[in-house]
Amino acid sequence: MAENVQQASLATIKADTTRRRQQFNPVNFRNLLSYLILILGSLVSLVPFLWMISTSFMSLGEATGVALIPSELHFENFTTAWERGNFSEYFINSILITVITLGGELTFSILAAYAFARIKFPGRDLIFGLMLSTLMIPAMVLTIPNFLLVTWLGRIGPLEWINNWPALTIPFMGSVFSIFLLRQFFAQIPDELYDAARIDGAGHLRFLWRIVLPLSRAPIMVIIVLSFIGSWNSLAWPLLVTNSPDWRPISVGMLDFISDAGQELNLIMAGAVITIIPILVMYFFTQKQFTESIARSGLKG
Amino acid sequence: MSSVPLQQKNPTNFFNRFTSTVRGRRGRELREYLTAYLMIAPATLLIFFFGIFPVAFALFVSVHQWRLVRQDFLGLENFIKAVDSLTYIVLFGLGIGALFGVYVFLRRIYRFAQEQKERPWLLAVPSLGWAASVWAFFRWGFVQLPELLDIADKIRGLERTRELFVGLLGEAFRAENVYPAWQQFVLVTIVAIILTVAVTYFWRSRNWLLHLTNLTLTWLSLSLGAALLWVTFQGITQAYALAIETGEDPGIWPQLIMITSGVILLLLAWRLWNSVPDGSGRGAILKGLAALLLMLGAVLLILEIPSIVASGDPDLWEGLKITVFFSAGTVPLQLASALFLAVLLFQKLRGSAAFRIIFFLPYVTPAIASAAVFKSMFSSRFTSPANMTLGAFGIEPQLWIREPAGIVKMIGEGLGLTVPAWADGPSMALMVIILLSIWTFVGYNTVIYLAGLGNIPGELTEAAEIDGASKWEVFRHITFPLLSPTTYFLSLLAIIGTFKAFNTIWIVREGAALGTTDPFSVVIFIEFFQKLRYGYASALAFVLFAIIISLTLINNRIQGSRVFYG
Repeated sequence: MAENVQQASLATIKADTTRRRQQFNPVNFRNLLSYLILILGSLVSLVPFLWMISTSFMSLGEATGVALIPSELHFENFTTAWERGNFSEYFINSILITVITLGGELTFSILAAYAFARIKFPGRDLIFGLMLSTLMIPAMVLTIPNFLLVTWLGRIGPLEWINNWPALTIPFMGSVFSIFLLRQFFAQIPDELYDAARIDGAGHLRFLWRIVLPLSRAPIMVIIVLSFIGSWNSLAWPLLVTNSPDWRPISVGMLDFISDAGQELNLIMAGAVITIIPILVMYFFTQKQFTESIARSGLKG
Repeated sequence: MSSVPLQQKNPTNFFNRFTSTVRGRRGRELREYLTAYLMIAPATLLIFFFGIFPVAFALFVSVHQWRLVRQDFLGLENFIKAVDSLTYIVLFGLGIGALFGVYVFLRRIYRFAQEQKERPWLLAVPSLGWAASVWAFFRWGFVQLPELLDIADKIRGLERTRELFVGLLGEAFRAENVYPAWQQFVLVTIVAIILTVAVTYFWRSRNWLLHLTNLTLTWLSLSLGAALLWVTFQGITQAYALAIETGEDPGIWPQLIMITSGVILLLLAWRLWNSVPDGSGRGAILKGLAALLLMLGAVLLILEIPSIVASGDPDLWEGLKITVFFSAGTVPLQLASALFLAVLLFQKLRGSAAFRIIFFLPYVTPAIASAAVFKSMFSSRFTSPANMTLGAFGIEPQLWIREPAGIVKMIGEGLGLTVPAWADGPSMALMVIILLSIWTFVGYNTVIYLAGLGNIPGELTEAAEIDGASKWEVFRHITFPLLSPTTYFLSLLAIIGTFKAFNTIWIVREGAALGTTDPFSVVIFIEFFQKLRYGYASALAFVLFAIIISLTLINNRIQGSRVFYG
């Protein structure tokens, strides 16, 4: 991967020089055309957003009418949607679910990825290969048995699983993808570092905690971001394992709100804006890392 | 970090303290192993429990009548209901595959033994024991599982104490039909151990464990293949016996022969094509022959398979057709526009970063929100944006997501033509979903293409430009071939993605579209979530699984030979 990065940066430097050469060209017709097409493409990307935002500020009459731009800004749509849709509760639920899942997922994945990357033990490649092969299994195959399993666990154990946090979080704490991502990263850390730490008397755990983790902010950030997006997107599973708003995440809450608000388009759009905002804020703050990480990992839930 | 002598154990290190009972060089190795196992334990257990075991469990569910609760054992009935006699054909194929596995394993053992100048064949005896032990374990699991599941019903209404649970667990374990299976498993395993010890006493080498594992796998795949073929022939005979009563010819044998010969033709063509050297005159003829065989095999398969599946569950057949429409409508357009945008962005225009952010925006948007927006933009209101746009061109308003009629049919009617029923095409409602899907994923594909473009060495394109190649020629002959790994990766991802797609469709779909927007995944979910037929839904999910695996395998095969990795 390091070579790839090097190649990529080489390519960027080359491209930079070619660009400089191009800029001497007085009439840059080709660039103009490119810009036109790109702007057209961005418009296609943005129109649904613009329409959503514009509608979310309209009165009900305008929203169902022909207006494209609200005559006056109805901010109260947002408060109405927030209250009627119970969004505060769903927000807290979604965040709690994400945090609990992430806590377990990160702890377990970091430990496992470290062992897979840096310790040689019998059966290592076999176990790792078996894990990777589970990535091929479509979620639909797992949904039914896992639903039965989770119901069963809730009935026999001291802890309720359905309609409660365990069903929504625990099955997702063992993440093959996170382990894979971290393992690839950990394996790149030079052996000399470990040998030095070893001579200084550090065991595996201390080496992991003091040296490996501080070096791996980037992949951990990727996991956090992807997990956040995943929990904002998950629908089928929470729909199955919750039947009251107590632990329903925002996606299911929004689905309920869509059917509840019915024809009140302005409120539905306000709800959509509310749902999108946290993700967009996160996207804009971690934009570069985010895009790169997805480009490199090539996966999303 | 303070410098502590190597031998002194760090008192805060839990793992070291835990394992410090074993000492010495060997001891240090063992401690290392134990640390590793402890570290992977939580994640591995979770993945096993919620990712691997459920596959076996789903198989268990799928061979039962299971409406909310487990009822009768049905065997293959659910699968027969879903895809009709294709079940037998797939099982037959799997059986043959397992027998082929025997050949592969044996060849591997033989070669390895020759290399090492060993004669490991005596190990075949204990490995038979181990294979039997594996089967005994599965048999025990099969009878134990329902007893375990029943605990949940027995415990209902009682106070859930630890003692009660442990008691019920013991009861389930000692149940009448379970305990003998367990005893059998233990017995077989003990025999296998004794045999192993005995044989390794007479014959021993460094690689004995490897040989033992390989031989066990050989026995397993031999017995699996035999069992599958036996089940297949049993099933087919039964179907024919039933057919005598109803007087209908099930026609499974001809189907089996047709499909088998189709597959064999395809494999032959593949072999022939790859064995021919490039450029020779004879090669061209042979390649032509291979292509002919390929077409013949493909025609056989295309003639047979759809008609068999169509005679199964009509919902599944409809769902499959819709999935194919969805895939065919989404993937090519999405990839082509992404490649186009990526090439434009790669020129390093000013502001290309901003464009990248904008194109990527739909992809990060939560599915629920973008689906809600598309749902209202393409609603059947006269004043919805989609209808207003049509109005601007003087076209009358459409029903959009509530329109079950095929798009080709509608256009045909608009032009005053009658379109035959088979050429209706995807419904207009599905077109909206296709549009939403393209809109969502173009940005993602663009970003990946950009990464791929960044990996192409600049020297190549520059050299071509110096030689006087036009931009298009450079793209056609250098950039595009060098991008082929990216294209294959993205197309596989996109095709599998369309087969799995669920969230957005579930939100956008309307009853008025009469199920014309329900691809296979939605059909499965309805079967499970609304009709509560768990067993049948599991069987359907396995059909989906089989399709996805075959797509992946075919793609890998083609990729291996066609993609140019610069």
